[in-house]
Amino acid sequence: MLTKIFSAMMLTLLLATVGFSAEPSKSAIPAVNAAPQVSSPQQQLSAPSQSQVAAVVAPVSAFGVPTKIKPNRAITISMFSTIIGITLCVVIWAARQTKSAADFYTAGGGITGLQNGWAIAGDYMSAASFLGMSGLISLYGIDGFMYAVGPMFSFIAILLVIAEPCRNAGKFTLGDILSFRTAPKPVRAVAALSTVTVSLFYLIAQMVGAGKLMQVLLDIPYRVSVTGVGILMVGYVVFGGMKATTWVQIIKAGLLMSGTILLAFLVISKAGFNPVGFFTDIVGNQLIQDHVRINVLKDALPKPGFDYGQRFMEPGLFLKNPLDQVSLGIAWALGAAGLPHILMRFFTVPSAKEARKSIVIALFINSSFFFLINIIGFGAALYLSPQLISSVDKGGNMATLLLAQLLGGGAGSLGGDMFLAFICAVAFATILAVVSGLVLAASAAIAHDVYVNIVMDGKADQHTQVKVARVTSLFVGLAAILMGLAAEKENVVALVALAFAVAASGNFPAVMLSLFWKRFNTAGVISALLVGTISALGLVVISPVMTYPQKIADDAKKIVSTLEKKQMEGVVLAEKDLKLMDKSRMDFEKNNGGTSMVGLKAAIFPLKNPGIVSVPLGLIAAILGTLLFRDRRAEELFDEIEVRQITGLGISQASDH
Amino acid sequence: MSKASYNWSEIARNPKYLELKRKKRVFLFGWWIAASVYYFSLPLLAGYFPALFKIKLIGVINFGYLFILSQFLVAIFVAMYYTKVANSDFDRLTDELLKEIQ
Repeated sequence: MLTKIFSAMMLTLLLATVGFSAEPSKSAIPAVNAAPQVSSPQQQLSAPSQSQVAAVVAPVSAFGVPTKIKPNRAITISMFSTIIGITLCVVIWAARQTKSAADFYTAGGGITGLQNGWAIAGDYMSAASFLGMSGLISLYGIDGFMYAVGPMFSFIAILLVIAEPCRNAGKFTLGDILSFRTAPKPVRAVAALSTVTVSLFYLIAQMVGAGKLMQVLLDIPYRVSVTGVGILMVGYVVFGGMKATTWVQIIKAGLLMSGTILLAFLVISKAGFNPVGFFTDIVGNQLIQDHVRINVLKDALPKPGFDYGQRFMEPGLFLKNPLDQVSLGIAWALGAAGLPHILMRFFTVPSAKEARKSIVIALFINSSFFFLINIIGFGAALYLSPQLISSVDKGGNMATLLLAQLLGGGAGSLGGDMFLAFICAVAFATILAVVSGLVLAASAAIAHDVYVNIVMDGKADQHTQVKVARVTSLFVGLAAILMGLAAEKENVVALVALAFAVAASGNFPAVMLSLFWKRFNTAGVISALLVGTISALGLVVISPVMTYPQKIADDAKKIVSTLEKKQMEGVVLAEKDLKLMDKSRMDFEKNNGGTSMVGLKAAIFPLKNPGIVSVPLGLIAAILGTLLFRDRRAEELFDEIEVRQITGLGISQASDH
Repeated sequence: MSKASYNWSEIARNPKYLELKRKKRVFLFGWWIAASVYYFSLPLLAGYFPALFKIKLIGVINFGYLFILSQFLVAIFVAMYYTKVANSDFDRLTDELLKEIQ
């Protein structure tokens, strides 16, 4: 019955989407700050501070290239429908098997290590890494590739100190681990609050990214795509629970990996299977040299003897502040291990051994993936040119898609259209799969921690638990859709930085100390979560990731004065430059004297990533809180949690129900 | 869970358990710290010693690029090595301990 309603709902949605997308839309490529940005902390940097002045000095459109990507609508829509269709079948299959709370939250512990490995890898392969990272490499060379190291390395902490102990000591949520030997109600409440905050931040950033991406790719209006993604994600979670969420993630990871392998293979074969020759071509490429000199380093005249091509292979074109990079490194190394939707995946496997296996598999898949993305990024720079890529999207986010079109046979050819459509559909599936996991994590915190354990004192039968979990997912999903719609014009980049920072500064110390420190207690958990969250939040809102209208006004003023100076010198400005001048004047008027969300003219905290300060703060708070309020009971119970986490004795089994 | 409840503090004093715990702790934290040092050397060296990254090693491919690739290899090595030790050593000790208790 439910499945029928669900299928009908999806069908209506599909038809509506097709109808809408058939309308010619005037939406242009989003501006620099609004480039499709989806997930992961690297995003905060994918709107580079490359000032618009550079665009005036070196007009990229001088290349006379198309500044819009044009997928074949019929092929793309059939690819989308196929993928959505497959995932819906998975949901219907999973819905039939979801009967108990354990089924809903952890697929009854019945996921194998191999399957879970693919699902975790899928959580990491977001649209940001798939589209954003290759774009950064194509525009800034090796700096873009450096981003790959953080996500990959985060598996080390997860593998060594998080996955197995959590599998052994936990059940469904972060709250289960943290409340083990503490006062359960306040700890669960704070843990749930933290989980919902982190998941919603991440979720909204993904929703906004999805909306923007679909707008660029298919001319689907923002509202339609956010609502569409939202309805699908709610459907997956409400009906299929963890089983559907995991399988959607596995299918997407498989598709994404196939697309990536094919694309990288085409690049390598075009380069004649010769890596040294490939990089020699990049360094010797005139367009790349010009791009580095004019657009990145802003040298109007070449410095004598300077190798601008080789510079593309050297760090520092994009990442300027080493401390910021270390801070980002901390956010990845610890934050990923504290993200509730990742933590939850360890509970889906039957044993610690399977949890271990799943992390190693995920590490293998993801390091291959990031290595291939590096080939794709450099290939895009060489075969498309950075000028073309940045003319389509300033952040470079369309590089992978353009390359797929080119290597598939070129725009307009069947091969090019098919490959582009496939990659677009995979990017869409990527977002869907990631948001579903987030909705599930947030709902589990509300339904399992707050409702079942706080409101009902843990006394709820399986039927009620599943019902509550489903209703909660529905509301979390609806809230995410509404917030996604409201955030269309907002700067969501900060939200992702925030999700990771909160996870690293609050959740990570709390989980670690719960498992490894005898004295750790209620006061410690609560102070870690509160101080970690508040300090991360506080530092991000005064950091350079926020929007500062005064800075926009100053930049606009610079453009106006550059252009006015040109006019004074007797240069006749092109129509485009005149338009830019008008727009900049308006920007100046609109933003001059304005302040950021918290009333600042400029950032106070110099780093985009708060981790380097907020992680120590969270840790110190945890230790101080613990020492100030000794708790004998917590210390007595330590033996139990330690024996459990080390040996897996008394592990909560799939056969719980 | 309808399992018999265990005497946790008794297990916690079992010599086999203590051996397992010590071995695990030294291995896990030791490798975690070592891997972290290698990981954080990437942003630090790139930021403060960029000249090092510019040294060309294979044709135009420089130290920086190879250093990034080495991060991949180190992560994979740590994961493989841990799996090997865990599968043979830790799991065996755990099984022995569990047999003794039950």
